[in-house]
Amino acid sequence: MMRVKLDDTLLLQVEKPAKYTGNEWNMVRKNLEDVEVRFAFAFPDDYEIGMSHLGMKILYHILNKREDTYCERVFAPWVDMERLMRERGIPLYTLETYTPLSEFDILGFTLQYEMSYTNILNMLDLGGIPILAEDRDESHPFVCAGGPCAVNPEPLADFIDFFVIGEGEEVIHEIVDAYKVWKGSGQDRKAFLELVAGIEGVYVPSLYEVVYYEDGTIMDVMPKSQKVPDVVRRRIVADLDQVDFPDDIIVPYIGTVHDRIMLELFRGCIRGCRFCQAGFIYRPVRERSPEKLNELARSSVKKTGYDEISLVSLSTSDYSALPTFCDNLLDFAEKEHVNLSLPSLRVDNFSLGLMERASKVRKSGLTFAPEAGTQRLRDVINKGITDEDLNSSVQLAVAGGWNTVKLYFMVGLPTETMEDVEGIADMGISLIESCRPIANRDGGRGLHITLSTSCFVPKPFTPFQWEPMDDISTLNEKQYHLKDLIRKRTRNIRYNYHDPEISHMEAVLSRGDRRLGKVIHTAWKLGAKFDGWDEHFSFERWQQAFEENGLDSSFYSNRRRDFSEVLPWDHIDTGVSKAFLMRECKKAYEGDLTRNCASGCSNCGASVYQTGICFAKQRSKSQAGG
Amino acid sequence: MARALRFRFSRDEKLKYIAHLDVLRLFERALKRSELPVSYTQGFNPRQKIVFGLPIAVGLTSSAEYADIEFDEDLAPDTFILRLNQHLPDGIEVLDAVPLLKKGKIMSQITSAKYEIAVSMPRSMDQDEINGIVTDFLDNEDITVMKKTKKGPRPVNIRPLIYSLSAQKPDNDIYILDAFLSAGAENNLRPDLLMKAFGQKTGLGFVVESMHRKAMFASTFNEWKDPFEVAND
Repeated sequence: MMRVKLDDTLLLQVEKPAKYTGNEWNMVRKNLEDVEVRFAFAFPDDYEIGMSHLGMKILYHILNKREDTYCERVFAPWVDMERLMRERGIPLYTLETYTPLSEFDILGFTLQYEMSYTNILNMLDLGGIPILAEDRDESHPFVCAGGPCAVNPEPLADFIDFFVIGEGEEVIHEIVDAYKVWKGSGQDRKAFLELVAGIEGVYVPSLYEVVYYEDGTIMDVMPKSQKVPDVVRRRIVADLDQVDFPDDIIVPYIGTVHDRIMLELFRGCIRGCRFCQAGFIYRPVRERSPEKLNELARSSVKKTGYDEISLVSLSTSDYSALPTFCDNLLDFAEKEHVNLSLPSLRVDNFSLGLMERASKVRKSGLTFAPEAGTQRLRDVINKGITDEDLNSSVQLAVAGGWNTVKLYFMVGLPTETMEDVEGIADMGISLIESCRPIANRDGGRGLHITLSTSCFVPKPFTPFQWEPMDDISTLNEKQYHLKDLIRKRTRNIRYNYHDPEISHMEAVLSRGDRRLGKVIHTAWKLGAKFDGWDEHFSFERWQQAFEENGLDSSFYSNRRRDFSEVLPWDHIDTGVSKAFLMRECKKAYEGDLTRNCASGCSNCGASVYQTGICFAKQRSKSQAGG
Repeated sequence: MARALRFRFSRDEKLKYIAHLDVLRLFERALKRSELPVSYTQGFNPRQKIVFGLPIAVGLTSSAEYADIEFDEDLAPDTFILRLNQHLPDGIEVLDAVPLLKKGKIMSQITSAKYEIAVSMPRSMDQDEINGIVTDFLDNEDITVMKKTKKGPRPVNIRPLIYSLSAQKPDNDIYILDAFLSAGAENNLRPDLLMKAFGQKTGLGFVVESMHRKAMFASTFNEWKDPFEVAND
């Protein structure tokens, strides 16, 4: 067994060398002779991003609870480190034992965002593993991938041996068990892939054939053998209280993006905002009990020494037991000098009391996400909030002492006109006006708003999965127009906007098919990595990669798909039916709202999982909200 | 038993790649895990009452770091050492502690530090030759280098900040430099800056293999004293 050696001449030349040395508090140590399966969990981005990821913490904890398995971590080395590693011939290694990736049994990537795809290729290459799945043999690790982007696995089909669709807590055990069986059998690589293809939620792309029409659209996706399913259904955990949740998370030495305890309140979201992929691919809503959460909060503080807890979910205010749970948690937090942060509080049922109490510990920034500037467009996207809702919540916030507020919007939403774009500026300005008397009280400096727009990217498994994305020049035009408008009208708004070129590529990769594998491969060869970072992204590089492979990126991003078209991800089933998504898409164009799951079922299909909110007793009207 | 302690700790190779602020955070979290009765400041953002003697740079190991800490109740130094060490990661260890009768002021007391710097020379040289090089270096009245300050890089004459410097040539190819340097909030000279100046003045293309802080001192009435000796001054 090889162990990578590092010294000062390397580590003192790179920024934040502690990203590459491990040895953090709660890092799991095991005797290599005692384990049968070695699993490397790979996050295809920088350590500071990856160590903030809850999913990795969960699977690291769950895999390492098994005596027969050792799960280690690996991140994408930052460019300074990568350069030195390549110069000196140092392979990419895990932080636990400094073992090169090529020596592992299974390497698992998490797919959190499309712009990290080139980092996967780069990490495989640095780790001494063939980039293409077809080039790997029995001496190489199996490369798998999961996470939200795995719902459309096709663009990565050339590189990944198998995908795990959905939540990993249970299926990961089945995969490791299957690996042990296969390892003992002496069979070839394909035999293992056929074995895991039989596990619900596992998708082996090499066992499926994709046939295209001449225009590039898909005719059919067919399993190559009868042993593999036609459609792969996403896995979920039925009862969150019954699966392990880590309280002994690794505590990094260097600051990370989310450097705190994360308590996951629930999965899924009752809301169904039509642009939001997370709102559809995690259904149905399943809650963790307040008793369990309180227990986890206490043991996590004890085992990590963190002084901050963040509540994690897609919409904190929708947690059914929020008031009593927070009361209890705040009592504990105040006593133990722990800060509580409450992100994702929705503006339409913002709790003043909660806000006041949490701010006693620390006053953090406030963020609102109206997403669109006019009521018409908010109805299109099923974001059920009104100008009055936002106005009254921001006024409450300002009265409570917050003088800076962040507002998030999107440009390029389906049906959007310039009037809707201008509505974004109007909304910001009317907030400043209406809050002026409150904000100026006691010599205040008035309300300051940071207003950000991102470019809407249509995603698979949303009602907008058929929609064309605005082209780059249109998005630029909209954002520049908004910028001008704001600059002319107020000094109290700081406006940030997104680079539409990155969003365009995100759109291409998120709704891409298998043919994109060649484009991704070419882009990587041309030097693409850390594409999610402005300073590393090069649109020209990607354009060249498309050209070299004779493909057109606008086919993927700017084209309207017909409802009858076979989509590249149609053989993946997330529980939410295509018929429901079509209904939602049509309702969007009519500006019709759809009620949330707590107020009543809209038959999205997620009830096939027979759990969660689909089967909970209907909540009372007051809790259900609008 | 005391309400406040001054303690000494070490940091070895395993944790030398983390920066000073990371060390502070590491102690904060270890103290929280230990459930020792550390005092907190009042106000919106309560902090633990702990103050460190000198910042510790990335790459530096040490056997002599100091800090002052306050508690809400009386605590025996041995209990503190035992409990905290259980919650400190491999690579940092509390070595000893003495009671403080009043609020400590370690940060303003520290004025000098001793370092051991290992370098590998591009060619072998005997003890006389290396002694000569060091003596010539110290004979300079002005050794001006660019020093990072809060106002950006500026030229500083570091010669007055070097109290002594000597070299040993052990059997192998590694040369050990012993440096006694000014330290503290006023006139801090980091060993890496010293070595940069040494390289510039001597023209020797050596490689610094490691840097270790082996002592820190407080000065009272022109005498260098161990920080524990002046704990209650």
